[in-house]
Amino acid sequence: MDVALFITCLSDTFYPRAGDAIVRVLRHFGCRVHFPAGQTCCGQPAFNSGFHRAAAVLIRRMATVFEPFTHVVTPSASCAAMVKQHGPPLLADDPGAHAASVRLAEKTWEFCTFLRDRLNVDIAAHLQAREPVTFHYPCHARSIYGLDDLRAWLSRLDVRPPARTDLCCGFGGLFAVEFPELSAAMLGDKLDELAATGARLVICNESACTLQMAGGAHRRGLPLRFKHLAELLAESLGLMEAAA
Amino acid sequence: MSTDPQPPLTAAETPGGTGPLDAFLHALRRRTEAAPHPTPLPDRSNAALRAVRPAEELAARFAAEATAAGCVVHRVTEANWLAAAKDIVGSLSARLVLVQPQPGTALTAERAAALADALATAGRSAVSKWDDDTLFNCDAAVTGVVAAIAETGTLVCVSGPAAARGASLIPPVHIALLDRTQIVGDLFDYFDRLANTGSPANINLITGPSKTADIEGILITGVHGPGVVHVLLLE
Amino acid sequence: MSRTGDLRARIAAATTDRRVVNAVHLAAWRKVDARAESFAKLPHVEALRDKAAQIRQHVIENLPRYLECFVERATALGAQVHFAPDGAAACRTIAQIAAARGLSLAVKGKSMTSEEIGLNVALEATGVRVVETDLGEFIVQIDHDRPSHIITPIIHKDRRQVARAMAREFGCPYTEDPAELTKIARRHLRDIFRRCDLGITGVNLGVAETGTLCLITNEGNGRMTITRPRVHVALLGIDKIVPRLTDLPIFLKLLARSSTGQPMGAYTTLINGPKRPDDPDGPGELHVVLLDNGRSDILTGPLREVLRCVRCGACLNACPAYRNIGGHAYSSVYPGPIGSLLSPLLYGHAYDDLARVSSLCGACRLACPVQIDIPELLVRLRALACTRQPRAKRVLLRLWQWAMQTPWAYRLGQRLMRFLPDDGGGWTRHGPGLLRAWTDTRDLPCPAVRSFRSIWENELRDEH
Ligand code: SF4
Repeated sequence: MDVALFITCLSDTFYPRAGDAIVRVLRHFGCRVHFPAGQTCCGQPAFNSGFHRAAAVLIRRMATVFEPFTHVVTPSASCAAMVKQHGPPLLADDPGAHAASVRLAEKTWEFCTFLRDRLNVDIAAHLQAREPVTFHYPCHARSIYGLDDLRAWLSRLDVRPPARTDLCCGFGGLFAVEFPELSAAMLGDKLDELAATGARLVICNESACTLQMAGGAHRRGLPLRFKHLAELLAESLGLMEAAA
Repeated sequence: MSTDPQPPLTAAETPGGTGPLDAFLHALRRRTEAAPHPTPLPDRSNAALRAVRPAEELAARFAAEATAAGCVVHRVTEANWLAAAKDIVGSLSARLVLVQPQPGTALTAERAAALADALATAGRSAVSKWDDDTLFNCDAAVTGVVAAIAETGTLVCVSGPAAARGASLIPPVHIALLDRTQIVGDLFDYFDRLANTGSPANINLITGPSKTADIEGILITGVHGPGVVHVLLLE
Repeated sequence: MSRTGDLRARIAAATTDRRVVNAVHLAAWRKVDARAESFAKLPHVEALRDKAAQIRQHVIENLPRYLECFVERATALGAQVHFAPDGAAACRTIAQIAAARGLSLAVKGKSMTSEEIGLNVALEATGVRVVETDLGEFIVQIDHDRPSHIITPIIHKDRRQVARAMAREFGCPYTEDPAELTKIARRHLRDIFRRCDLGITGVNLGVAETGTLCLITNEGNGRMTITRPRVHVALLGIDKIVPRLTDLPIFLKLLARSSTGQPMGAYTTLINGPKRPDDPDGPGELHVVLLDNGRSDILTGPLREVLRCVRCGACLNACPAYRNIGGHAYSSVYPGPIGSLLSPLLYGHAYDDLARVSSLCGACRLACPVQIDIPELLVRLRALACTRQPRAKRVLLRLWQWAMQTPWAYRLGQRLMRFLPDDGGGWTRHGPGLLRAWTDTRDLPCPAVRSFRSIWENELRDEH
């Protein structure tokens, strides 16, 4: 199966290891992976911030960049949601671009759901970890996969769920810099929850949330480490060295 | 999706009057565009959404829910309800008790008279009037109810020529006499019935005592309404 | 409050008021948990929410017809219906009702609609004394404060603050015991209830088919307010209508559970007109003041779903932003997620930026009994206001958009980020310029030594 990776701007810049892991895992399960080099950002920050014209331009661009491929896989549920849900309505006025954005929406997958639904991989069965894990459930992933999926995927590990599993990390795109004190206060609540689990490895499938939580944890001196599920999976399958 | 045979409402389509409200409605009608995907009015029947199964034992469910809501439920019979009522009044060391018989409730004129006698022999005065001094000074009020709802442990009191709204509200203790046949299962059942009967001016669905959690979320009972609600459930 | 700067400063300050933040956290979480517990026990809860949402949506799409019907039926029951296009008109109408009948002591049930129009101040200016009777609102009134939650007005206060206010106002011995404090308020208000001649309440929902008003309270103050005075004025937003009497129980099942986790409020009162001639007590006159105050503009605009709201307050409790700043930071009668939508719509562009005070986490949407997609509407509101964002922000955005359209500029941007100061461990602790908004409160990881695209180019592409 041919798959194009949509790495997202944040993972490309800050968390390339997740992309590396995704490529290895997809290849492991028999996919041919492509990386269209023209890709940049899906426009989500602009969209959430209300700048819909800018978002429309970028979605249109995305549709063109990925036009040649039959499947598009991304590590980020929120970027997948941007492409799948918010993209097409932005181009409603331009039938050609709209049709292209609908095609993009239909073939775009968040990585874990692609493994589960397209490749029929039993994610839980492949995962291993030498230490207790906890997880962050990215708010924007709600519309793509349910809360219980992430928990179920980790179920064979020593998983220590936070008491309030669906608490927001406080990132919220431009919100994080428009109202940084509030964003940080919300982050504080989140880190309290994570720290209370006793686990030091946090599975988080959203690089924006990881940016926020890791930055907060480092500032507070909390010994938390963050990984995308793809990284843990690649390590479990022996496709990658376990990272420190 | 609506299965109502006809539009449920018969609002006049042309504004007859000339007041500001009519002008406003007229303008609003002009401004309101039809929605591209109009939302239909859902079916009137709520039968599929009931919380209480028709077969459920209603008196038991009512007693459990009313207790959870903070009422004190006494399951009594025709033979011992008077004694139970007397005991409650005695335990309150209440002197002045408002007894309010009401047609359509279990507190019939005969029962009220019997209760007044029983209280009098126990040294309490029972009155049946609604002046402010009585309402604000009596220690408890005994009333009937027109219905009760098992799902939520709710008592229904309505206004009428023989029933002051203040009786179940102003005295610090409310003692309600309820016949088990008056209990309906679900909140939906009560409203179905209400929709088919004429409505008094004031209908109160009473669920437990008066309460507040305004200060630090701590539950306090008896703010403005009764702090204690006794239900005598006649089986 | 037109500039984001003011709002940001106010919000920043609110996050540091530990006493308020702790009080709000505690109370809001308690309500969130109580709500979750009671919803878990309610059969068909999602179907109930579906139906509630659908009924409300249907009503706002067909409002003129239902309002007309409501007015006709309420009038037939003996109510006098007035229409107020805005808050000032509503205040005037109520003041006239009072003046024409010589009413001078008004008791009030908790009503956000009356807060919205500033009714107390307006009535007091005409010589009518207005006494709040909900315990929380009563404390707000004697403490010259403002409510900070639409259901729990003093969620921001702890018992010590209440105790001080009570002791100051009534000269009674100082006590912090909530039960004692409640008793003091009760004693004071009993006397008022014996003497009052005008009762003012909001309305939870009006029923078009029957002209019935539904009012839910827990303390019994609402019942007192519509029982004791000889005149009852009910203030009803034009949006608060359901078509049929049998629709009410759907909302009753959801409302108290959403607000406080109770299966039912202590008192749900259905009002069918004023006292009947042979009723022993109750108000001889019932006036319904139908308030527009911007609602019809919302109704005919692109965010009309917001009018489904039944003011249960669940979205406030569920909101992590609200919990960390409390209600006052919003500077609006309606705080929290629903307030961030309603305030700009009701009060104008000065409140636009409230729509930005949200991480769009969606906890509000999950809590809302009528399924308002609050994050979606917030984004829509941001979009409507985006041309009014500060110029600098718009220019930056344009620049960013250009970079994202231009792969070489995007790659250049990635490379430039490597020049951010590194603390030696791969973290930026003090970002320059705009990045300070991030690094003042969090560290920023330095970009990866090699971006994904460079790993791909150099290793992954050819590896198999
Ligand atoms: S928006 Fe929904 S959750 Fe918020 S107050 Fe209104 S009805 Fe309740």
